[in-house]
Amino acid sequence: MKMNMTEWKNSILAHPEKIAVPVMTYPGLQLIGKSVMDMVTIGEVQYHCVKALSAKYPAIGATTLIMDLSVEAEAFGSFINFSENEIPTVSKRLIDSFEQVVNLKIPAIGDGRTKSHLTAARLAADNTTALPVFGGIIGPYSLAGRLYDITEMMTAILIEPEGAHDLLNICTSFLKEYALAFKKAGCNGIVIAEPAAGLLADYQCEEFSSRYVKQIVDFVQDDNFIVVLHNCGNTVSLVESMLGTGAAGFHFGNAVDMCEILPQVPSNRLVFGNLDPAGVIKNGSPEIIKVKTKELLTRTSQYNNFVISSGCDIPPGTKIENIDAFFEAIAEYNKG
Amino acid sequence: MNEIIEKLTTCIEFGKINQKSPFPPSMRGEVGADELTRQALEAGIKPVEILEQGLIPGMNAVGLKFSQGKVFVPEMLMAAKAMGTALVHLKPYFMSGEVKRKGTFIIGTVFGDLHDIGKNLVAMTVEGAGWEVIDLGVDVKIESFLDTLEKYPNGAVGISALLTTTMSNMESVVKLVKERYPLTKVLVGGAPLNTEFSNKIGADFYSRDPQGAVAYLNNLQNC
Repeated sequence: MKMNMTEWKNSILAHPEKIAVPVMTYPGLQLIGKSVMDMVTIGEVQYHCVKALSAKYPAIGATTLIMDLSVEAEAFGSFINFSENEIPTVSKRLIDSFEQVVNLKIPAIGDGRTKSHLTAARLAADNTTALPVFGGIIGPYSLAGRLYDITEMMTAILIEPEGAHDLLNICTSFLKEYALAFKKAGCNGIVIAEPAAGLLADYQCEEFSSRYVKQIVDFVQDDNFIVVLHNCGNTVSLVESMLGTGAAGFHFGNAVDMCEILPQVPSNRLVFGNLDPAGVIKNGSPEIIKVKTKELLTRTSQYNNFVISSGCDIPPGTKIENIDAFFEAIAEYNKG
Repeated sequence: MNEIIEKLTTCIEFGKINQKSPFPPSMRGEVGADELTRQALEAGIKPVEILEQGLIPGMNAVGLKFSQGKVFVPEMLMAAKAMGTALVHLKPYFMSGEVKRKGTFIIGTVFGDLHDIGKNLVAMTVEGAGWEVIDLGVDVKIESFLDTLEKYPNGAVGISALLTTTMSNMESVVKLVKERYPLTKVLVGGAPLNTEFSNKIGADFYSRDPQGAVAYLNNLQNC
């Protein structure tokens, strides 16, 4: 559904009550009786998961689709390790020298499982009336790390920076088109997950990640489609570089204290974060989750641009009662 | 201190692998850890001195900077690669027993998980601190940890996980290791972990960075 996302953003900034946008698809599997394998391979299953979650949690502020960081590498030809109830991962590097970059074929939109993820996006956008729908794609540096091996990509920026840039250019060319495909599918935005950049220094993040993320932002972002940049690393020193991408929103993982992040972000840009998805939301008790949720909301209460979220994808197997506790805590906080 | 040893320490700290390596730019064209270790041995410096006075201080220096947020993963990996290059020259002396390692550290990424950057960082840093490291790789089954412990019964074990979905697999590894080898110390690490989780699954120590693992292991040796 078409939606003016600038107005959506402004309504959050003006709204006295806190909304929640957890990165949440996997918990929906329990509601519809499907497996992770179903979710990552069948677009309709992914859609029914987010539909079930939206129905169960009407307070949710936006629908987020899956954060599957293997799908783009698979489209390039990488081998993927699948199992019934675990998130797929890239099993080995696709190229072992930058000379091979010229032989990489930029995937067509629809290759591999991109088709299934775009199907989910289309269904969610067509059938969701009141909420914005965010698709999910990987960031350029993180994708390059999956194609070239993340350890090798880390040192390549120091010893073979030209080769690293060649690969990043190829990755970005594809990601621009993939982001555009989510826009054409009717989504209202995308979350770009760039976790590997969280391991870099600020100037490295700028040169090898943010510069490329900005290309994607410039390519797709407008009043009706916004980009949220997710980085779950230790990003306190990376905020300035992340801001330079021009993304409308920024999503942070639980490695950082939001009170060290929020003062660095202009008040007209959304900041999402960062309840620990594993330690608190999955493994915590409902009581702990309530305490931690309210604590985070209280500590960030002076920032109207703060939107409470999970620090990353809420893992498969998270109990529904834990998600209930998260939303109950927000409702109780809003009541005062 | 010997000039070669001092230079070697600097090469490790700044990740200068060999003369060919363009990193760091300020040392471009200069010899690196590879050539200097060879020179040190040719000059008659004892391998144990090369290790303890040259290599380990270099890794300690870069590890400290990493913990303080002064350098990041890429620089840390370059230092570890420089260290690895130097250790190749010392391997015969380890094999002959002329140079003693501090102990054995068996490390792997837990089964179901294919991520290795954190595991690699810890493995290389611990090795650089003077330990023998048996790196079992990624997606390591319980049996593999147990089989390796059979060969190295005094070894400590490190288990890594990056995914929230696979961190729970650590519990069964810790349980079986402790059942069969009650005295074996088990360290865990990875982005989604914390001390609370480590305690819950019965591990002995959670380390948030490689230096923490080194400090814990070195302390074990002193107990």
